[in-house]
Amino acid sequence: MIIEAGVALVVALGAFWTFSGEKEVCNEKWINFNKYGLKNDLETKLYGQHIAAEVILKTVTGFMENKNPKKPLVLSLHGWTGTGKTFVSQLIAENIYKKKMKCSFVHLFSVTTHFPLKAHIDEYKTQLQEWIRGNVSICPRSMFIFDEMDKMPLELIDSIKPYLDFSDNLDGVSYRQAIFIFLSNAGGKMINDVTMKFWRDGKEREEIQLKDLETVLSQSVFNNEDSGFWHTSLIDKKLVDFFVPFLPLEYKHVIQCGLGEMARQGLTPDNNVIKRMADDLIFFPKEERVFSDQGCKLIANKLHFYIP
Amino acid sequence: MIIEAGVAIVVALGAFWTFSGEKEVCNEINFNKYGLKNDLETKLYGQHIAAEVILKTVTGFMENKNPKKPLVLSLHGWTGTGKTFVSQLIAENIYKKKMKSSFVHLFSVTTHFPHKAHIDKYKTQLQEWIRGNVSICPRSMFIFDEMDKMPLELIDSIKPYLDFSDNLDGVSYRQAIFIFLSNAGAMMINDVTMKFWRDGKEREEIQLKDLETVLSQSVFNNEDSGFWHTSLIDRHLVDFFVPFLPLEYKHVIQCGLAEMARQGFTPDNNVVKRMTDDLIFFPEEERVFSLQGCKLIPNKLRFYIP
Repeated sequence: MIIEAGVALVVALGAFWTFSGEKEVCNEKWINFNKYGLKNDLETKLYGQHIAAEVILKTVTGFMENKNPKKPLVLSLHGWTGTGKTFVSQLIAENIYKKKMKCSFVHLFSVTTHFPLKAHIDEYKTQLQEWIRGNVSICPRSMFIFDEMDKMPLELIDSIKPYLDFSDNLDGVSYRQAIFIFLSNAGGKMINDVTMKFWRDGKEREEIQLKDLETVLSQSVFNNEDSGFWHTSLIDKKLVDFFVPFLPLEYKHVIQCGLGEMARQGLTPDNNVIKRMADDLIFFPKEERVFSDQGCKLIANKLHFYIP
Repeated sequence: MIIEAGVAIVVALGAFWTFSGEKEVCNEINFNKYGLKNDLETKLYGQHIAAEVILKTVTGFMENKNPKKPLVLSLHGWTGTGKTFVSQLIAENIYKKKMKSSFVHLFSVTTHFPHKAHIDKYKTQLQEWIRGNVSICPRSMFIFDEMDKMPLELIDSIKPYLDFSDNLDGVSYRQAIFIFLSNAGAMMINDVTMKFWRDGKEREEIQLKDLETVLSQSVFNNEDSGFWHTSLIDRHLVDFFVPFLPLEYKHVIQCGLAEMARQGFTPDNNVVKRMTDDLIFFPEEERVFSLQGCKLIPNKLRFYIP
């Protein structure tokens, strides 16, 4: 009894020491793709995104199980706000890196935060290139997430193009095992229109397929002068492996998010509370009121108001 | 007797030393739920919607060990209705040093960001300020007054901190509180309140939903009421728009009596009534709501005390 307790204590202390104080190293202990974890997370924590869930699971799994990828994995996640783009990036990181989003091999750039001043663009280019190069040379399986990609200056996008490409040796570094994820609202309206059309035609949401969106999406963002993102660079060179569309969320998805969030916060999931909250949200379009304007984004803090 | 006195002195000195001289420590932040409830019920007049929203959302947020995003509240309404006052009440029930806490940061747009030409500098400074302070203390509070005057670019630059991500340059903003104060939308809020009054309904019948519906309509109609300022950003990152209703005669009386007590006078109904009668009320015919709310009362009072 005492011996078992002692052993348990030593093991616990050892685990604690191993994972809390110790510095991360770019090896299997800290980087280990959990295929079933990702699958489970996408199935149980992500609501209303049947296309994204399938694309993400298959492409990330295929990439991580490939010992010798020919080019880095480049995914571009598009869609309305609050539909799960940032959330999905986190789910991917959580199932690859032990320290999840806090892992030093995961790099999140928010364009308005990191590259705010137009006048400094040359400085940003240099810094960004050095940052990517430096980190991938330390750890080939690094992950770079760029949020607000639709606000990224063309010049800066152009400057990272080489890293997304096929070459095996760029100044002595190979980027082939890295993952690049771009998040943006560009094309969101078009995705919403397509989803709305399916709804009006009386079809099931799950009948929407990637091909219904991919062609129209790449064309619309390509032709949209405002979303400089797609100007010529990334589409022309086919550097983006997949455009992943995120559909606007319906009332029932908001309910699911709400119940999930209540459970996550240790509260007893209560349908009435969540329903009252969902009823106060803004839905569009004006007449049909099908899709949530804020997606699931504000639910975590809003729901407290509706608990009696 | 002497021993008890001695012990009492030592304890008092100890408490004094602990709380006055000692530097604030981030992990000693302690939310007082009942304090906030009591303050909102007894010190805030005429704001039944704001009181309920604030109490529930702040309590829920502070009791949540793992928030998914920072708490972002946008307080809107006429002048003198209690927006700044409520921010203070919140701070007072979270931070021991209240508004003087080094973890509470108050920005007044026209004071801190006055010159359009310096906007790039402001962006950098503001980002560094927020980032630096949240990395020292995750449960920091940022209050932005006169938000309706904040340049769009500057609002854009703080957007990422209000959002969902867990690690922005090694810092998580999820436990921070952001409060925006503004007059934007005040006219619309006043109109709704006036309508209830004209329809002979009780003020307390007004619900958050009555105001939120009008707001959402203006979204679809793309009204440039200033309320939707940066539209997409506000709607998607602000957890609650908290409306402050214009104050009626009776609320001004309540403010006046409380202020007299606070200044050490015996509350005197006649004094406060005479002061209130001299205030301007709107609209022109019905004269229901106080133009300055409760704002000028502390100084005005003196004139009416015989």
